[in-house]
Order: sequence, then C-alpha cells, then structure tokens
Amino acid sequence: MAAVGFRRLAQALCRGNRSGLPALVSGSRAASGLTKDGLPGAFPQTPAEKAAAAKKYNMTLAEYEPYPDKGEGFGDYPKLQDRSQHERDPWYKWDHPDLRRNWGEPMHWDFDLYIRNRVDTSPSPVSWSTMCKQLFGFIGFMLFMFYLGEKFPAYQPVAAKQYPYNNLHLEKGGDPEKTPEEVKNYEI
Amino acid sequence: MADYREAPLATRPRTLDPNEYFNVSPEQRRSEQQRAVLRADLKRQYQTQLNSPHRKALIEDPALTRWVYARANPYLHFKPTYKTSLMGAMFGVVPLFVLYFVFKTDRDKKERMIKDGTLERKFSLSS
Repeated sequence: MAAVGFRRLAQALCRGNRSGLPALVSGSRAASGLTKDGLPGAFPQTPAEKAAAAKKYNMTLAEYEPYPDKGEGFGDYPKLQDRSQHERDPWYKWDHPDLRRNWGEPMHWDFDLYIRNRVDTSPSPVSWSTMCKQLFGFIGFMLFMFYLGEKFPAYQPVAAKQYPYNNLHLEKGGDPEKTPEEVKNYEI
Repeated sequence: MADYREAPLATRPRTLDPNEYFNVSPEQRRSEQQRAVLRADLKRQYQTQLNSPHRKALIEDPALTRWVYARANPYLHFKPTYKTSLMGAMFGVVPLFVLYFVFKTDRDKKERMIKDGTLERKFSLSS
C-alpha cells in the first residue's frame, strides 16, 4: 500500500499530470486498455464520424447502422439483427463456444437476452396456428372439464354415522335398567 | 412450402430465405469478402494473444468493454422527447399513484367491513 503511494507520488512528480495530494488520493485509472475514442460515443452526424464509428466497432461501413437518434440512450452503438445465439452454427469453432461468439465481434445491445439459456428466435418446428390451436385447445378443454366437474360432482354415497347397541344407549349415560327403544338402522 | 409463414418474432430457416438464392451479385460477394477480412483479422489478433507464451493475464475483449460501457451509460445520450417522457411517466410516475389509490380503497373497504362486522373471517391462508 505504501509502495503504491510512493510510486504514484514519484510518477506525479515526474509527469505532473496532477500535483500534490489529489494524485495520491484519487488514483483514477482506466479499467481497460481502451482509450476514450475506443468507447461508444454520441450519435454520428457526419459521414466521416459514421466511418470512424464503423471502424471502431470492427464493422464495414455498409453494415454499420446506428440506432435512430431519438434520445433513447443508444448513442452510436450499432443496431444488429435481433437474432438469438441459438441460431448460430453449433459446429463452427467459435472462440467462446458456449456463447457462440468470436473475440472482438460487435455484441448486440440485448446480448444477454439472446444467450442460449434465454430467448430463442430460431424457426419454430410447427406453424403459429398449430401451436396456438394445441395450447389453447388443451387449456380450453381442461377448463371445460373442471367446470363440468364443479357442476356435476361425483363421489361415493354417504350417510349419517350409525352407532350400535341401540345408539350407544349405555355409553351415553343411559339407565341400565330401563330398556331403550329399539333403533333399527337397517332395512331388509 | 410456398405458403410457409414464420412464427411471429422467429426467423425463417436459411434454406427458405430468398436472399440465399437471389442475392449473388458481385457487390454482395465483395461486401461479404470485406466482412470476412475484418473477421479474419480479429481471429488472428485473438489467436496470437491466446497462444503467446508470455501472456499471464486474461485477454481483454474491447467489444465486451464497449458493450458494458454502452449499457451502463445510457443517460449520456438521453434526450427528453415525447416518447421518452411518456415512457418515463408511464413506468415511473403513474404506477406510484395508481397503486396507492388501489391499495388505499381496498384497505379502507376492508376496514369498514371489519368495523361493521360483515367481514367473513375464513381460516384459509390466501385471503
């Protein structure tokens, strides 16, 4: 820690970028090797700016298309096709095989939406109408059946509980001398 | 297959894409070649760094840095227009008031019913 501070002091004294205490205390430096003009900037107005932006993002001028300048916060970031990583060739030797992406390739604004665990835009195996019919058909059928089950309940027949020994006359504290009335819970 | 229609938000298979078969002019091939040149250059840069015996650190990806920077700093290029102000109002301001009124009326109704003794106090967990 002290060595870092001493080194920075020496550098500041030599180069004189910032003098004195702020140079030691702030210690701000870039987190990457990119310079300021390697980072995304404002929407390109002139053709020269457009060419420079295309070069910056490693795209040809023909394929570079920035998002329309509507103040939505995109700047000069390129508008790439809304294709998911599911659609990319699984057999090509990508630099990052799980992301199906090469190093340095411009990333889609919604790249984290289109990874292989998430949204898939590849062609569907059956048509939209078939999918709708199957899903809503199944859900509709199940709802209809549950409705019928509510309307017409079907269960085993039940009756009130029947107790033996003349309706438990002695257990209910009845007089042992007095003969109770005969309770018949059956019919033959 | 002439009546093939792709599902909404999905794409067409490559074999049914008319571009594959009808866009074969020299200009198309030239632009594809230029793109291939850029891709090959990036591949070369990556492979030299990957296989260099002196490398000790991670290989930094400038495209990734630019993406992260762009996603983290949208307000540098924000401009208040009709659409952006409407979006901000709809998602940031309106839900506050709407939810306040909804919850308040519901709770007041419940409180009134409790005070009148008309609220049915069931043992179920969901209400």
